[in-house]
Amino acid sequence: MRVSPYDEMLQSGGTPRPHCRDYWGWLEEQSQECLARKRSEADALFHRVGITFAVYGENSGTERLIPFDIIPRVIPAEEWSRLEAGLVQRVRALNAFIGDIYHGQEILRAGVIPAERVLCNAQYRPEMQGVEVPGGIYAHIAGIDVVRDASGSFCVLEDNLRVPSGVSYMLENRKMMMRLFPELFARHPIAPVEQYPDLLLENLKSVAPQGVSDPTVVLLTPGMYNSAYFEHAFLAQQMGIELVEGQDLYVLDDVLYMRTTRGPRRVDVVYRRLDDDFLDPLSFRPDSTLGVPGLLTVYRAGHVTIANAIGTGVADDKSIYPYVPQMIRFYLGQAPLLENVRTWILSDPQDKAYVLAHLPELVVKEVHGAGGYGMLIGPAATATQLDDFRARIRAHPERYIAQPTLALSTSPTFSAAGVAPRHIDLRPFVLSGREVAIVPGGLTRVALREGSLIVNSSQGGGTKDTWVLGC
Amino acid sequence: MQLRISHRTTYRYQEPVKYSAQMLRLTPRRDGEQHTLAWSIQAPGRRAEQVDAHGNITHLLTLEEPHREISIVVTGVVEITRTREVLREQGMLSPLAYLAPTALTAASEGILALAREHLEGAGPLRQRLYDLARGVCASVRYRPGTTAVDDPAAAAFERGEGVCQDQAHVLIACCRAKGIPARYVSGYLCSGSGHQGDAASHAWVEAWLSEAQGWHGIDVTHMEPAGACHCRLAVGRDYLDAAPVRGVRRGGGPEVMDVSVTATTIDAQ
Amino acid sequence: MLSRTADHLYWMSRYLERAESLARMIDAHQRLSLVPRPPEAVAQGWQATLVSLGAAAAFFGRHEALTARSAFDFLAFDRQHGGSIVQCLRAARENGRAVRGTITSDLWETLNATYLESVSFTPAMPESARGEFLEWVKYRAHLTRGVTSATLPRDEALHFTRIGTFIERADNTTRLLESRWRDPGGHGERLRAEASEWAVLLRAMSAFEIFRRLYRDSVTPQRVTEMLLMRDDLPQSVHHCLDELQTNLAAVANSRSDETHRRAGELHARFHFGRFEDFCAEGLPQFFDHFQARLRELGARIADDFLVPAS
Repeated sequence: MRVSPYDEMLQSGGTPRPHCRDYWGWLEEQSQECLARKRSEADALFHRVGITFAVYGENSGTERLIPFDIIPRVIPAEEWSRLEAGLVQRVRALNAFIGDIYHGQEILRAGVIPAERVLCNAQYRPEMQGVEVPGGIYAHIAGIDVVRDASGSFCVLEDNLRVPSGVSYMLENRKMMMRLFPELFARHPIAPVEQYPDLLLENLKSVAPQGVSDPTVVLLTPGMYNSAYFEHAFLAQQMGIELVEGQDLYVLDDVLYMRTTRGPRRVDVVYRRLDDDFLDPLSFRPDSTLGVPGLLTVYRAGHVTIANAIGTGVADDKSIYPYVPQMIRFYLGQAPLLENVRTWILSDPQDKAYVLAHLPELVVKEVHGAGGYGMLIGPAATATQLDDFRARIRAHPERYIAQPTLALSTSPTFSAAGVAPRHIDLRPFVLSGREVAIVPGGLTRVALREGSLIVNSSQGGGTKDTWVLGC
Repeated sequence: MQLRISHRTTYRYQEPVKYSAQMLRLTPRRDGEQHTLAWSIQAPGRRAEQVDAHGNITHLLTLEEPHREISIVVTGVVEITRTREVLREQGMLSPLAYLAPTALTAASEGILALAREHLEGAGPLRQRLYDLARGVCASVRYRPGTTAVDDPAAAAFERGEGVCQDQAHVLIACCRAKGIPARYVSGYLCSGSGHQGDAASHAWVEAWLSEAQGWHGIDVTHMEPAGACHCRLAVGRDYLDAAPVRGVRRGGGPEVMDVSVTATTIDAQ
Repeated sequence: MLSRTADHLYWMSRYLERAESLARMIDAHQRLSLVPRPPEAVAQGWQATLVSLGAAAAFFGRHEALTARSAFDFLAFDRQHGGSIVQCLRAARENGRAVRGTITSDLWETLNATYLESVSFTPAMPESARGEFLEWVKYRAHLTRGVTSATLPRDEALHFTRIGTFIERADNTTRLLESRWRDPGGHGERLRAEASEWAVLLRAMSAFEIFRRLYRDSVTPQRVTEMLLMRDDLPQSVHHCLDELQTNLAAVANSRSDETHRRAGELHARFHFGRFEDFCAEGLPQFFDHFQARLRELGARIADDFLVPAS
């Protein structure tokens, strides 16, 4: 039995939801040709500005556009404020959890999470044990992927606490919509998002090492061949900070400097877009040429802040995710405002037995996978694919989790055949500094292929502007 | 027993090095049965001292002026009073942190078979560990000069020979595969104690016996407990965490490294 | 400013200047081909150009025979040859991309559009369109410099861009002259001295009218060379390039750069206070070799003092 998905804009019967009545009326007046013209205008602009991403596995330097859909995803204010409260609560708990793991490990002592699940996890970084970080904040920037189930309520699919990306598309999509459809912004109270870079910079400055009054903040990128390089350059420019590569930084004593045309300059906060493994060849992967030798020493000495902190992966690993609701209860003493998606952990024999028996209904993911790769979608899989995954699960159950196949919500999308529903998700960006703040909205990703549930840009996904109305 | 240690490492480069950074773990650990009576490190550049998460004393050596040579000389005297089988040491890290495999200690099929053969039997764990050490030494014969520092356990096992580092990695891989926390130790071994080779620089393993007993040091190469002749420099999940020197440089071209180590006992009458 | 940022700006403008200069060199040959000359003279002319660019070995590694067409294809379109026009435009854009947060979006979009358009130019294009291609390269270089001058703030970013532009232009101008002095033209001294060939060179450098206005006399190799080396009021001249190099180096001076600045000044003084007759007495080909070596040395010093140290 297939449950019909929740549509963001239309009620059953095809009438618009109350908050979309105005927009839908406008959309119905637009001709197909006009919409098509607007879309190719958007494509041309994105190309010229060079808002592109590189695709893994293709020749280096291959650049592609992420398809942009000109129909926005619209969220009414009261729904947004409920979602916002849930996200703030969740990220507070996640930060508390990471701090606890790298200090007293109360939650493990209390038996809420099995200790070996955390401490034997490849994402646990012993190097961080006992390290004090400013404000006790580890995940300064969190991208929380939320979806709506068939009943229309939001739930969290995944937490991204390492180097979450996509925020530049949130900002550029908005700019593009304002350029293409200025009249819509005049007639809808759409909450602005362009304050994000200011908010981010303020947050990064607020977590500078103690005693630094006017901190120098830099953005550390793996370089221009990284798939998210556009975003790195964009954010650095928007914040007015230096975009640095590992080779621009060096350590002397236990202080971090950057090489400038006027000599060395001290660096206080590093907003890094480089994975833990590559940050310091003297402590992590010795073959990394992207990092800064000695950076961990500077960090442990408290002379630099790294955002996000090293070792946050221990909280967003797929095998830890099922415990987030318990974390919220444990650290905040509150009931979770946002639900998780039901998750089976296949290293648990009971869960494994259930999953093997119900594989055709479920989605199976690799614990350490990302980007929609290495995934099985049961209902869409062939018998061979199912057998293949059964064998893989039996051989290495600890590498997989399973979840029910969600009827992700849909939103009207401009396709070749006209306006048609496509599945979407949402990634709001949660900033933690002295306070926790979220710009209203986020990145809406859309699976452009009819019926597809995979929204990742590397696999045929696109993006939409996200409107929070009436804030 | 008192040990007089002298350890000189010299790197020479064909062209000038513009910048270099070395992580030194060249200061004996402070534990209840190992006391440093005198210790000095002579090295160029600037030095920042820290204690890392494993409890090792580290120095980050950074050099900005162009140089063609780096010479690091450590000398000192350490008194070791180790008589017990297990270490009296309260680390910051849970033993579980030494259970996750690393790139250098990932178990291959062959290593798993070795682990099953020696660790699944009955009898006290300590006994089984020495059975395993004998098994490791038979599978990976000691042969100096056969290994690169970044060789993983599986490669050494495949090759059938290696140095103490490889033997330690293979034993660690076996232990972890069977759920026994195990860690890598780098240090000095006093010469003249009837030990094979001139390996004053040495590596061995510590395995977690139980909450009640704690860590137990096994010199895999010599198939005996690490005792009063073993001076512990650093511990970690594998060689990379505990390497006495780990460095990165800009420029310099090909390098020549020269190491000389002596560790001799001082008669305490 | 980050040293690496300065490095990218410097190379961005060097590559752009180089692309333009290549277009002008090829243009000179195209114009010469309108003057009746025996085929071996045409080949010798191209040979001299390839030698002065240091690209002769690379050319013969990829082509059997030296013809006007194979040389054009190699210098303009060859995507395996780092020194071709399309590869220079690509390198300019890649350097710009690495610092797109520092340059203005107008400048970045100009560089990016130039590169994207350049991809459509290939050896398959018809003979008749080749002249337009060269014009297009010059036009894009003009446009990019214009955008740079109109949008970049007068700070370090502009200074390093200028340093790159003028060090490259000084180098290119001497290479263009050098190739003309080396080209025996099939008939030795007599043909080399032929006014029409030097007039062609002036036109390719967009300097023919200026020459007429300044000299009001016939075109001779000596006069053309003197003008392109010694006049400090001509944007194409070596003297002017060294003026600009001096000024911009002074503006970015740091605690390490005294010696570099002194050497740039020394080189500049030879043009500012020197006499063209003395250069001729030294022998012009030797003079060009010597000058280019000094310029390379200066480039290496600039890299060491301000940019990313080599290796």
